[in-house]
Parts: sequence; structure tokens; C-alpha cells
Amino acid sequence: MNEHEFAAKLKPWLDSAAQGVGEMQATKLKAARLRALDAYREPVRLYGLVPTAAGTAQAIHYGIVQRALLWLPIAALLATLAIQSMSDIDDAGDIDAQLLTQELPPDAFLDQDFRSWLAKPHG
Amino acid sequence: MERRAFKQSVYAVQEEQSALDIVQDSMMKLAEKYAQRPAEELPLLFQRILQNTIRDHFRRTKVRSTWTTLLSNLGMGGDDDDVDPLETLEVDDSTNIPSSPAAQLEQSEVMATIEEAVKALPARQREAFMLRYWEELDVSETAKVMGCSEGSVKTHCSRATHALAKVLKAKGITL
Repeated sequence: MNEHEFAAKLKPWLDSAAQGVGEMQATKLKAARLRALDAYREPVRLYGLVPTAAGTAQAIHYGIVQRALLWLPIAALLATLAIQSMSDIDDAGDIDAQLLTQELPPDAFLDQDFRSWLAKPHG
Repeated sequence: MERRAFKQSVYAVQEEQSALDIVQDSMMKLAEKYAQRPAEELPLLFQRILQNTIRDHFRRTKVRSTWTTLLSNLGMGGDDDDVDPLETLEVDDSTNIPSSPAAQLEQSEVMATIEEAVKALPARQREAFMLRYWEELDVSETAKVMGCSEGSVKTHCSRATHALAKVLKAKGITL
């Protein structure tokens, strides 16, 4: 009888010994298995972006790409606000440029109905 | 699955409560730390965790034993309670209950002899034999779990098988 044949004949005895574990131990083992299964939560992917788990927070693990995707909305919001504020600065610059390049001097705008300015002789 | 793991632990640590703790810890480690891994990897991972937890148990026992010996030498108590595997011969119930009481007794004795022979194997031989022939891992998988070369696995398995065969032959048991 070679090694494999001998082991194959021994295996049913070992299986039988495992099946013959006492009731109390079997109950404890089953309880331990249930506790482990309770702790085991396979992550569910929602739209391929955010893994959520029904268990505790520590069961949630984010990859690098997922972390980046989670920051994406905040980055987009900040970018929009920055562009918006730059646009406001450009608008103010345009108004100033128009004011300085037209014929009327800026002081004229302080003159009520341009009366004083119109009263002055202009060449 | 958990029953086989329990018996493996009992054969290794020779104490049921510690074996229960080892299996329970191993299952929790698998569930908590490896939930993300593909399902097909889990059995092999569980075996690796189980064997590591058994080794951790031995390390803790060794440290405790060192302190106990030290305190004992200083006259601060601690009995020498080393377990002799041959003194804890158990007769296990079997699910394949033979028809006659005589046959049942004989089967129980064979079972007890086999279990004691497995317990008496050197740790690495027992580990290799259990993984290779009971858990039916191939040589490569067994080597990964044990953290050794495939050649070592073959050597351990061969020695374990010959040792078991020798014990059974000496007891006049034929399988």
C-alpha cells in the first residue's frame, strides 16, 4: 500500500471522528460560525462607485480610485466657485475699461444730469 | 468545515477549550479581514489562518510555561502539568455505528488509536498530513499554507504516513 492509498483509507476515519464531535462542542462551533458569518459582509457596489455594507463601518473599504471619485463633487463645486469669482472680476474690469476709454470723463458721472459739464465750453 | 478545523486544532493542542478558541478566532479573522477576497480563495486562507493561530497558541503557551517554570523555581507555586498524549486516550463516538456492541467497541478503539497516533506526530508532519490528505490540498497549496517548500511538504507527508502506519501495524490494526 503506497502513501496515497494509506491516506485515502485513513481519511474516512478522520471524517468520522470530526462528525463524532460532542453535542456541546458542535453547538459552540455552530455559534462561532454564525458569529463569523454575521461579521462577514460582502460589499455591495452601488453604480460601481460607492461600496456600502450592511454591517459596521469598519467593513467598508475604499480603493484609491473610489476615494478620488468621492472627492469629485467637492472638487467640481470648488472649481465652479473659482470660475464664477474670476468671471466677476473680468466683468468689473470691462466696466472700468469702458469708463476710462469713452469721451465722458469719470467726473461727469458725478455731475447731476451732466449740467455742469454741458455748461462748460468744449472745443 | 468547522468540525474538521476543530479536530485539527484538538490534534495539535490536545485540549478542547483551546481548540474551540482557535477555531473561533480563525473564523472571525477570516470574516473580518478577508471579506473582500474572492470566495474561492477563502478555504485556503482559512487553513493558513488556522495554522497560524495554532502556532500563536503554542508561542503563548511557551511564554506562559517559561514564566511558570521560573516562578516555580523561585518557590512561588505552579504545578508541572505537562500533558502526555498517551495518557489522554479518548474513545470517540462514531456516526457509523456498527450493529453489534462488540463491533462498536472495536471501531471506537481503532478510532482512538488513529487519533492518538495523529496527535503524537511531530507538529509539522501532522500539519502537512492533515492539509494534504484530509483537507485534500495539493502539494503547492499545502506548501503555501505551511510557508515551506513543496519538497518539505512531501517529506513531512511521507514521514507522517510511515509513522501512522507503523503505529497501526504495532496495534494489529488493518484499515
